[in-house]
Amino acid sequence: MRSNKGFYGDYGGQFVPEILIPALDELERAYNDFNGNPGLMDEFYRYLGEYAGRPTPIYHAKNLSEKYGFDCYLKREDLLHTGAHKINNTIGQAMLARHMKKKRIIAETGAGQHGVATATAAALFGLRCRIYMGSVDVERQMPNVRKMKLLGAEVIPVEEGLRTLKDAISASLRDWVTNVEDTHYLLGTVAGPHPFPEMVASFHAITGREALEHFQGMGFMPDTVVACVGGGSNAMGIFQGFLDMPLVKLVGVEAGGRSLGPGDNAATLTQGTRGIFQGALSYLLQDAYCQVQDVHSVSAGLDYAGIGPQHSYLKDAGRVVYTSVFDDRALNAFHELTRLEGIIPALEPSHALAWALDNAGGLGGTRVLVNLSGRGDKDLDIIEKQGGTQ
Amino acid sequence: MKGIYLAGGYPDIDTFTESARAVVASGFDFIEIGIPFNDPIADGPVIARAIYDSISSGVTPAQVMKCIAGFNHAQIKKYAMTYANIIYSFGIRKFSEEMAGYLDGVIIPDLPNRMARLFYDSGFEIPIVPFATLETRESDIKMMNESASDIIYFVGLRGITGARSDFTSPELLDKIGMIKKNTEKKVIIGFGIKNSIDAGKAMAIADGYVVGTEAVLRQNDPAELKKYLGSLRQ
Ligand SMILES: Cc1ncc(COP(=O)(O)O)c(C=O)c1O
Repeated sequence: MRSNKGFYGDYGGQFVPEILIPALDELERAYNDFNGNPGLMDEFYRYLGEYAGRPTPIYHAKNLSEKYGFDCYLKREDLLHTGAHKINNTIGQAMLARHMKKKRIIAETGAGQHGVATATAAALFGLRCRIYMGSVDVERQMPNVRKMKLLGAEVIPVEEGLRTLKDAISASLRDWVTNVEDTHYLLGTVAGPHPFPEMVASFHAITGREALEHFQGMGFMPDTVVACVGGGSNAMGIFQGFLDMPLVKLVGVEAGGRSLGPGDNAATLTQGTRGIFQGALSYLLQDAYCQVQDVHSVSAGLDYAGIGPQHSYLKDAGRVVYTSVFDDRALNAFHELTRLEGIIPALEPSHALAWALDNAGGLGGTRVLVNLSGRGDKDLDIIEKQGGTQ
Repeated sequence: MKGIYLAGGYPDIDTFTESARAVVASGFDFIEIGIPFNDPIADGPVIARAIYDSISSGVTPAQVMKCIAGFNHAQIKKYAMTYANIIYSFGIRKFSEEMAGYLDGVIIPDLPNRMARLFYDSGFEIPIVPFATLETRESDIKMMNESASDIIYFVGLRGITGARSDFTSPELLDKIGMIKKNTEKKVIIGFGIKNSIDAGKAMAIADGYVVGTEAVLRQNDPAELKKYLGSLRQ
């Protein structure tokens, strides 16, 4: 999704310290070179195929469909190398880092999926790698921390604020300001300053293209496409395949957390107001004193007060409907998919599925495509703490 | 142009007001007052901690703005330092209308020079202080000169508040030279000044400096701050 000089309507921009501006300009140039260079694009798609496992299948989930009365299709991003969609973006940006001759990459991570995917790409391309992760997330996503370390990344627990994703991004920005000469900040979602939203969305566009081609091959389109929304990258990935098909309804599902009260959720697009946060003007969960609101979600990857600017634009334009589901409904969907289909999803896309299952009445007889953005191995500790099997 | 940064409302409104008076009494040319925001990405641990503490003890941007407005010492210039969201979400025009009479400028570390237009176009009439950095290109200075600000804020290091500048590095000296050659504005060195030796070095190469972290460290004890401010000016 192309921006107008870094803006989508009113949203986007480059709200970062001045010292980063030349680095953002350099990144934009490198990204444009990359797009215009068939050799590099070929290499990128070769890695996505031979290394990451693209294209991913679309599975018609028969048991779920039968029980809930609508045709449920799953885009199986959970089958990708490292277990989530994040690898599309990390391979793309690691290639850009190489192109810009940066020797070191840093990244934030919430659920640890982006951290693992970054550490993986760093190993592949021979880059030094440091991952910032809120200490609360380090604790709740330990399997991913172990993987990052095995892959050779240094994992720095961040002890500030709520010790979750926002704090990891702030710590990454501070590192980048300090080490901008030799370091690329490999941001993990469609948030942050231009050109990140546009660039990350373009690396993920392949998900939507594959889905579109799949349905074209079958001779019909889904009626609804659903994705979970943290910063918004997997959702942008799949939505881009269908944005210009007005008959396909697009639904973005954020974390409703414990309740819709302030501090209890991460439902930025339905509960937030416009603000400037971590590089972009977008919707933001903030309090009456212009301070960033505390957030909560059972899912570390959705636990974020901000949102990529493209989603704010798509909300205002009315092209995507944004909504939220509560923690307990996401957990219910997690168990439903696990028991009915033998697929253990990550807690993040469990939110997308939960929206579909909980609205089955209205979806009856229609085709619903859920972007299954990642698998749930990382979440087993949380599931057990929440009462384990149901 | 010698200045001191204080974290607005830290540790509480009264102590802060007393510390601000100490800055005036010590003969500084300007004071830079931080309006708290809880994602201070350009600040190191000392200033970030002071900001978090003041917010959790209930200090609000409006209270600090009121302090700034009440602080009418004709002999000192006043700049507010805050993050873009505070002004944007308070209301760009509203902030400007309420504060224009009390401020010589605002310093917004997450509003790079090219984004300032967005604020001006929305009715912001207080000068936004431009930033120069070690990465500044000669072509960037044109935009800085268009600002109504009387100063340029030079960040002489790659890093955040609380780190130390190296005033002998050829890179820094070259960069300051290039900037001064291309502007009439006063070039103020922010970030990285700890003591009177640093301050002396800064005055030798630029038109002024601002001390932040070391002042904030003493902000909960105005008497101690006053002693430190005296030592800085030697
Ligand atoms: C599997 C999975 N899905 C979704 C997300 C949320 O991020 P985004 O909204 O950028 O896709 C994450 C983030 O960690 C994730 O791991």
